[in-house]
Amino acid sequence: MTTEMTAGAGQARTYETAVERLEEIIARLDSNEPGLRETLELCGEGRALIEFAAGELEAVGRGLEELRLDDLIQRLEQEA
Amino acid sequence: MNAGLRAQHGVERPGGADAARAGIAGYPGPFAVGRYAAGLRERLRELARVSLIGEATGVRVGAGPNVYFELRDSDGAIPCAMWRTDFERQGLSPDELRDGVEVVAAGGCDFYPGSASASPRFAFRVQELRLAGEGDLLARLARLRRQLAEEGLFEPQKHLRRRALPRRIGVVTADGSAARRDFLAGLDRRGWRGTIVWAYAPVQDRRAAPAIAAAVRDLAAFAEVEAIVVMRGGGSIADLWAFCDETLCRTVALTPVPVISAVGHHVDRTLIDDVAAVCCSTPTHAADAAVEVDCGLARQELVAAARSLDATSREAVLARARVLVAGSRAPREHLDRQRRRLHQLARELRATTARGRAQRLEFQRRIALRVLQRKAGAAGRSAAGERRAIVSRSRMLAGAEGRARERRTAALTAFGAALRAHDPERTLERGYALALDERGEPLVTPAAVRRAGRFALRLAGGAVAAKALDPKEER
Repeated sequence: MTTEMTAGAGQARTYETAVERLEEIIARLDSNEPGLRETLELCGEGRALIEFAAGELEAVGRGLEELRLDDLIQRLEQEA
Repeated sequence: MNAGLRAQHGVERPGGADAARAGIAGYPGPFAVGRYAAGLRERLRELARVSLIGEATGVRVGAGPNVYFELRDSDGAIPCAMWRTDFERQGLSPDELRDGVEVVAAGGCDFYPGSASASPRFAFRVQELRLAGEGDLLARLARLRRQLAEEGLFEPQKHLRRRALPRRIGVVTADGSAARRDFLAGLDRRGWRGTIVWAYAPVQDRRAAPAIAAAVRDLAAFAEVEAIVVMRGGGSIADLWAFCDETLCRTVALTPVPVISAVGHHVDRTLIDDVAAVCCSTPTHAADAAVEVDCGLARQELVAAARSLDATSREAVLARARVLVAGSRAPREHLDRQRRRLHQLARELRATTARGRAQRLEFQRRIALRVLQRKAGAAGRSAAGERRAIVSRSRMLAGAEGRARERRTAALTAFGAALRAHDPERTLERGYALALDERGEPLVTPAAVRRAGRFALRLAGGAVAAKALDPKEER
């Protein structure tokens, strides 16, 4: 799918996984357990996730595009 | 036919005037059938008005003034007729009243007496009509639902992972429908402005189910959509029957893209609702299900999360810095104490070392002196011994040298005597001569002398030339 991108070690990232991971990070930070290094690493990862999620939101906020299935199929047949 | 009816309609004919028209004994009459039929109609109309329930069959909704059908159940049937004006007043479409539909019909008995050219007809004159809803359709629906459930076809769609924020949504609905408008409004409220792929299809007649199934298949295969919404407005079970189609429902169940159904209203439960990933009651609800994320709210939450992360990281650094500052004081004091202690120890060590060094030097001096003395004594003893050995060896060498000289003198004398004994000159001195050829080689046989012819004859004190004689001369 076009909304997916490759992150880190080849793991597919989506808006949903990004938000899910972001929630984990915030919960971890709220626990006050991480040391300084882990805190800074989590904050860095969190900022990257926010950037990605914001990009996803931006992608579905640029303007409604309406297509017709018949046109799509016709176009595919012509390309074929 | 009782007497009252006969009197009311004057149908009784006196007999006798025309024997051919005489009645039959035991039966009143004969009566004129037209008048009797009219009387019968009046009597039937006097019967109580009731409502009946049964399955409609033989439905004929033609262009005429009446709508005809039969109302039937397992015990019997009754023909029904309804004025078209009454039928239209019910708000039912001609499609809704069709064979197999169970209806409740209210009215009373009626009879059309016919005419000279028209056949009479008994009918239950229906004035109010409504669909009973259940009946054969629902029974079939229940059977199909059970069958699909047993095959596990309600599950596959439920296990598909749905995107909370799809970029592209496919929608199957009727072109220009109110559902389309409501769905768009719902998406707009979500703040979602991605891509919609519309797959318009009939949603009611018998073409509907195959067209919807094809649209679902094509959307999943060609349009790269992340969610498919199938929607239609409300209606009777007959109207929504296309969404209970077995082939359509199997198609939806096995589609790899999540399908959201929004067919009918709250009370309607079609089979596609069971096989779909999500069942919604309205197009607006379907929009919420297709896009679970409220985009505007999500943006605000992301901004808040970003701020929170910034604050957290800053606070983490500051908190550690404060701890480090507080902790740094104690080490400094500790360090100072240790430094002072170290200096004290160093001073003590220096003092101790000075005393110790003097003692150690004196001790080492005494030891060294003693060792040197021992080594000097040993060296003296060793030199005297060596000296004696050298003198002794010198003497031995001188003796050996004298003896060797004597041995060599004696040997030389012996060698001289031996040499003289072998010297040819000594032989010549005794009177012998030595014959030599031209090259000075000795001629030791008479044959060699003869071959040489001329030769030298060496004697003590010199040589003379000689010549061998001819053998004849020798004799």
